[in-house]
Amino acid sequence: MKTPLRLTALGLASVFAFALAGCTGVAPGGGNDDPDTISFMIGNPEDPADLELTEADMAKFEEETGIHVDLKVIPIENVQTIVQTQLRSGEGPDVFGYDTGPGFAGALAEAGLVFPLTDAYEEFGWPVYEFAKERVTFDGEIVGIPNDIETLGLYYNATVFDDLGIERPESTGDLLDACTTIKDAGIIPIALNDLDGWQGGHYLSVILSSMVGSAGMEEFISGGKSWDSPEVVQALSLLKDFNDAGCFPPSPVAIDYDNGNALFYSGQAAMNLTGSWLVKDTERNVDFEVAYIPFPAPDGPGIFSGGLGAGVFINATSKKTESALKLLDYFMTQEHGAWVIENTQSIPAFPIDTTGIEATPLFTQVLDDAAKIADGTGDFGYNIDVLTSAEFNQAMWDGVQAVLTGQATPEEVAASLEANR
Amino acid sequence: MSTASRSLAPTVTRRAQARLGIVLVLPVMIVTALFFLFPLGNAVYYSLVDFDGLNPNPPFVGLGNFIRMVEDPAVWHALGNNLIWILVGTAAPMVVGLLVAMLLWTVRRGGAIYRVIFFLPYVLPGVAIGIVWGWIYDPVNGLLNQFLRSIGLGAWATGWLGEPDLALYAVLLTAIWAGTGFAIVIFLSALRNVDTELVDAARIDGANSAQRLWFIILPQIMPVFLMVLTLTLVGGFSVFDIIFVMTAGGPANATEVLGTYAYDQAFVLNNIGYGTTLALLITILSVPIAVLLNRLQRRLSLQGTGA
Repeated sequence: MKTPLRLTALGLASVFAFALAGCTGVAPGGGNDDPDTISFMIGNPEDPADLELTEADMAKFEEETGIHVDLKVIPIENVQTIVQTQLRSGEGPDVFGYDTGPGFAGALAEAGLVFPLTDAYEEFGWPVYEFAKERVTFDGEIVGIPNDIETLGLYYNATVFDDLGIERPESTGDLLDACTTIKDAGIIPIALNDLDGWQGGHYLSVILSSMVGSAGMEEFISGGKSWDSPEVVQALSLLKDFNDAGCFPPSPVAIDYDNGNALFYSGQAAMNLTGSWLVKDTERNVDFEVAYIPFPAPDGPGIFSGGLGAGVFINATSKKTESALKLLDYFMTQEHGAWVIENTQSIPAFPIDTTGIEATPLFTQVLDDAAKIADGTGDFGYNIDVLTSAEFNQAMWDGVQAVLTGQATPEEVAASLEANR
Repeated sequence: MSTASRSLAPTVTRRAQARLGIVLVLPVMIVTALFFLFPLGNAVYYSLVDFDGLNPNPPFVGLGNFIRMVEDPAVWHALGNNLIWILVGTAAPMVVGLLVAMLLWTVRRGGAIYRVIFFLPYVLPGVAIGIVWGWIYDPVNGLLNQFLRSIGLGAWATGWLGEPDLALYAVLLTAIWAGTGFAIVIFLSALRNVDTELVDAARIDGANSAQRLWFIILPQIMPVFLMVLTLTLVGGFSVFDIIFVMTAGGPANATEVLGTYAYDQAFVLNNIGYGTTLALLITILSVPIAVLLNRLQRRLSLQGTGA
């Protein structure tokens, strides 16, 4: 599954720096009966440096607890297949990372493949935010610990904006005007990249979220409102209008995620719409000032789309649940949370005292925004694809590509979304 | 051994021979059963159930997956792309491969270097080829568009993998580039066994190049030609990796083939039963063609035609 797994990779790589996970053909416990060795499956992080961080983190856990973690790294795109197959065969890792939400961890929970954690939450007192806990709760049972809080927004090259005399866009009209100015300067306005498909879902998420607000998004997700309603058509039409106006690169569906980001890093594009997980990479790769804002609404500055990254789960057939629970408990400590913020620039899904933590201005802003998600003081939209079924996501990804390539109208795509609800 | 001599052999010897035969055949039988029959039986089973990858007791649906397959317009769209792939992706390497092999056949010095150069793409991993050609096709910084702009054909620069009408052919061109080297090397080997006296005699009799190729050379390399044709054709039905890497079937299913559609159904949408049914369709379509061409090749070999 392209989007969720991709996001899981990014999310986990940036949270505990142990992205999605996987191991092949290993019996629970890492293939041996040593109670002090557990296997932990991770998908390969985008940046090898993140894997080194993970290994160091696991070494620290071993030092503290005496439990050795047998880290298994597999290609991120195979995680879903490998996890399902191994868990179903009664094997697999003791602990693994996986996407949250009903289509992913929910499906594993429904099949009884993940270890129930409701009692563990009570025993260990894990202070996970309620909204985050809900995403790993199925049929009243908590089955995982959510990793990180993420937002989707628009990074922009503040240096270029200053040079061209462009103010921060406060509406889609402003953004369209900015696009024209930037395009006239010979720069690609927004580095839309949709070869992989899932990025299109992010665009729909942010445009729709800013358009209808969190309450409106809640209605779409919960089924209270139809996906072929005028707002969805309007959001898709806006995407088409931006494309027609030259706000995006030529043939954006021919550009993959990495190349799209590279357009922004290199200064060839002035804006990049993606998630907060890219803060670290963005700051690492650019030599200009970067700002991060919500995608504007038609009549206002808009809201961020926010939500959870992936989560960590225990195999239901693991014979080393005690050790596995210690690993999860380690992830939930204040020290580990602070380490995550400082080293991976990700935001744990539980309260962390950030006093004394060194963070860049951009990441500090992301931290503040995430705090508003956590304490419920901010209005945040949703990243649609982590909350909907695989069928719906496929229809959404194909649909956005079809709109961008003229293969379908916004109305047709909206109808397809509703048909695949 | 003739029937007469076999009947004259002592019973003990015949039994020993039979046992030896079984022992010799057994490894192949085991390997065939393990790696072909068992997976095939497994695939047939999964095509008859509605398996989501998780439920250990998937409900039996009989021919439901097959009926769904026939009624699914996406299957016909993918099959259409497979047919384009088979036609263009078979004809191009065969024709280009044969022509280049003919040229190299006459090269006296440096032939090995040419063979290595042409064969190199074939030994490269498909994933690597897909990634590199993806860069070449990149609409903003791709080499192809930069080249077109540099020679004044900037109007032709486009997003090769992002245009629904072009994307399949762009990927196909990559596959042809990668696969033609195989045809060249095999044809070249076959051409070394061609009776050059016949070719010279035809030339003296006034046959032009095309006539010599058609009437003298091609018949002599026909079994090899059919072998390459079979492999390329079957590859056209089962094509997956290069499309998966370069476009993943997009944009919006424009480059979807049976292989990528089966993958999506099985591993993205968790319709493993249906995905397996689609994979069986690939087998059902490709095996008869492979068998037919194989028989033709054997018949020609037995007739003494060919290299």
